Amino acid sequence: MRTKIIAFTIFLLIFPLGILFYKVNYLNLSVLPQKVDDAWHLHLTIKPKAKESTRFPIPKTYPGVKITGEKIQAENAEIVIDSHADGNIGRWTKIGEGKSAILYSAKINIDPVSVKTFHKDYTQVYPKTFQKYLIVPTLTPEELEAIESLEGAILEGDEDKTSAIRKIFYYVDEEIRRNFGVTKIHESLFTGNGSPLVKAKIFNILARRQKVPSRIIVGIRMPTPQEEATKQKIHFTYTNEVFLSNKWIPVDTNRSYFGIRPENFLVLHRNYDDISKYLSRKNATYNIQIQRAKMNRFNKEEYRKEVAKSNSWLSNFSLYRLPLPLQQMFSTILLIPLGALVLAVARNFLGIPTLGIFTPILLTLFFKETSFGFGLLFFGVVVAIGIVERYVLDKFYLLAVPRLSIILTLVIVFMIGYTLFTVDGGFFSQKHLAFFPIVIVATNIERLSIMLAEEGLVNTSKSLIGTISISILVYLLFSIPSLEILMFTNPELLFSVIGILILIGKYKGYRVSEFLRFRDLVRQKKALEEQK
Amino acid sequence: MIFSQLHRLGVLGINNRVGRYILRHNKRKFYPYVDNKVLTSELAHKWGISTPENYMVIKNYGTLRTLDARIAHLDSFVIKPAKGSQGNGIIVITEVIKKEVNGQIEIQCRRSNGKIMEIDEVKHHISGILSGLYSLGGQNDEAIIQSKIEMHPVFNDYSYGGIPDIRVIVFQGYPVMSMVRLPTRSSDGRANLHQGAIGAGITLATGLVNHAVIGKKLITHHPDTGSEIKHLVLPHWREILDLSAKCYDMVGLGYLGADIVITPDKGPVMLELNARPGLGIQIANLSGLVPRLELIAAHAHEKRDFKERVDFSMKHFI
Repeated sequence: MRTKIIAFTIFLLIFPLGILFYKVNYLNLSVLPQKVDDAWHLHLTIKPKAKESTRFPIPKTYPGVKITGEKIQAENAEIVIDSHADGNIGRWTKIGEGKSAILYSAKINIDPVSVKTFHKDYTQVYPKTFQKYLIVPTLTPEELEAIESLEGAILEGDEDKTSAIRKIFYYVDEEIRRNFGVTKIHESLFTGNGSPLVKAKIFNILARRQKVPSRIIVGIRMPTPQEEATKQKIHFTYTNEVFLSNKWIPVDTNRSYFGIRPENFLVLHRNYDDISKYLSRKNATYNIQIQRAKMNRFNKEEYRKEVAKSNSWLSNFSLYRLPLPLQQMFSTILLIPLGALVLAVARNFLGIPTLGIFTPILLTLFFKETSFGFGLLFFGVVVAIGIVERYVLDKFYLLAVPRLSIILTLVIVFMIGYTLFTVDGGFFSQKHLAFFPIVIVATNIERLSIMLAEEGLVNTSKSLIGTISISILVYLLFSIPSLEILMFTNPELLFSVIGILILIGKYKGYRVSEFLRFRDLVRQKKALEEQK
Repeated sequence: MIFSQLHRLGVLGINNRVGRYILRHNKRKFYPYVDNKVLTSELAHKWGISTPENYMVIKNYGTLRTLDARIAHLDSFVIKPAKGSQGNGIIVITEVIKKEVNGQIEIQCRRSNGKIMEIDEVKHHISGILSGLYSLGGQNDEAIIQSKIEMHPVFNDYSYGGIPDIRVIVFQGYPVMSMVRLPTRSSDGRANLHQGAIGAGITLATGLVNHAVIGKKLITHHPDTGSEIKHLVLPHWREILDLSAKCYDMVGLGYLGADIVITPDKGPVMLELNARPGLGIQIANLSGLVPRLELIAAHAHEKRDFKERVDFSMKHFI
């Protein structure tokens, strides 16, 4: 019997993990849907000025950048996308008459990039494909003179490439202030001001003159919430990458990043040299619009598509098939067993007394449906109403059910009062599930008042405090968003919960509360033994 | 490990009690025999086990209207929920007072604590019982009007405001451990350890008090009467153990608590049985239940009648 239980429990614990493993490794589903928090909606409107055809850069998926839901359309034109190592380039060819704008939109997730360690670099020879990153652009005599005198001032000439690049970075980053008006190299070096593009160009020239492969990155900086609110116009911006110790290192002389690309920077194209002519105003005008994706904390929609695409028998069991309101309900309901797990631990391992078995969980659901503060206030008020009722209505000798119904009615009266006299009226504005715990909590109140009468204030307070602390604990657990979505995405984990509950159910050891209860027994027994 | 000392003393914990003893040895179908006191007393009647006399069982609200007439002839009685637990909902009426007001007879009841209850209050209490206020799980219940038990004079100096009862834990028909619960002023005359009654461990072999506690505190004297508790000698001790051992044969529960009172005229009387007896008895005896339970488990296969089982317990649990 014992081995059967153990085998069954192990099966329950392992089975969901097996399914999870299958889903992740064979169906290529994500464990969790991607977070929407750091996702962006990018809308690019390009109006070509050329007569026949032109090109334009568009984002490309690579490690750290995920592009989904890409859409591109253009009237009276044909679009072809060429994928290059440095980025994707769209080709627009006009067919027919009339104006033609290109509309590009996509959802973009960006992970930050960070290089932590830098080694000295003495590389002399680079592969052939790197030659284009080493060619120093042709400079005018003034530019050359300014550059050479700068090199003389900041470089010693015998340092390794990494150190040289650092010195160049510090100079361009700190000594040239950002000024969109200054777009010429020698002017910038002379005045100590420069546009982001000119700063990137200076860095690029200096790096290449040190024989370090370097390129100018064309990118878009995601707007801050303030910028978003003020609808600030978004432009392309320029940073650099240098090749040191066999890695491309991101460098941003405008925002002082060395070895770091923050999560708000989208790389559009990795080589400005290749696309500079397409970005010019003579070629086309670009209108960039970016919004933070706000719909859900997690992108359930994308995951639903993933599931549908997997085309597996398992997709029939996915809760993502349900209509949205049901999904919301189930994501809460699926947490309940986890709450029960906490409750089982609290009661059977710790021995915390509660008022009724599932009251703490109902209370937690109530917190979740309304708010923590209101939930606590409500519970306090219900307890108070229950106690007062006990003293006042006791004299009337009412039958039990009508009396409980009076408590329930008083609770509703309180809720109306609360809603009328608070500005937000937050309680009724939202949910329906909240009404369910009201009834349960109100029913428990009679218990509470009887307990108060028969077991005294101390024992009752213990149960009350136990109930509230467990429900707070469960509430904290329920507030972990990834936990909610994990259960919703992989409801098979419920079997693991059952497995754990069986283990708890088989626990025959002491409870922590019993250590306290029998502590005196142990002490007194010892004292008696010593007397003998 | 913080539990090692409890383990060494063989203290039985709740999880262990439920998992190893109650669930294994107490079949659910036998529970009604102990959870419903009406059934318990019917069964006890068949088995010749003495219990307090039930005057009447009130099953529905309708009969409450005529309650006055039906209790008018009683001198004293006890109201109990049939499915109550831990003594909740029990009211002891020591005197039925009849008054003539405007040519009609009005009845008042005096409770054991001296307070007067109007007949309406009594009815209200009973209707609370019927609606399940005191029953396990809150189901509808019945109220028992039962004869009030008189206290044996041996307890005169050891009880305050109520009647002591004796709890015997019986495992597989063998008495395992016992205690006497002595009401105090703070327990409001009730023999309930949670409410501050004294728990005095009784050595099975002798019927003598070994230790006494209030809550977790070891005491030597009754706080209200001042008597030294070790001087209490329980009369009819062998009969008490026989009675409790017989209860196992009667209800078939392997692990049970028998609550017994000693009456001046009928001797030991079984008050109620409990399928989930509490663990506080270990504190009253300053010893753990586990070694005793394991000893009995090792002998459980031997066929013995109740007398032989009591002999066994009196021999081993000294």
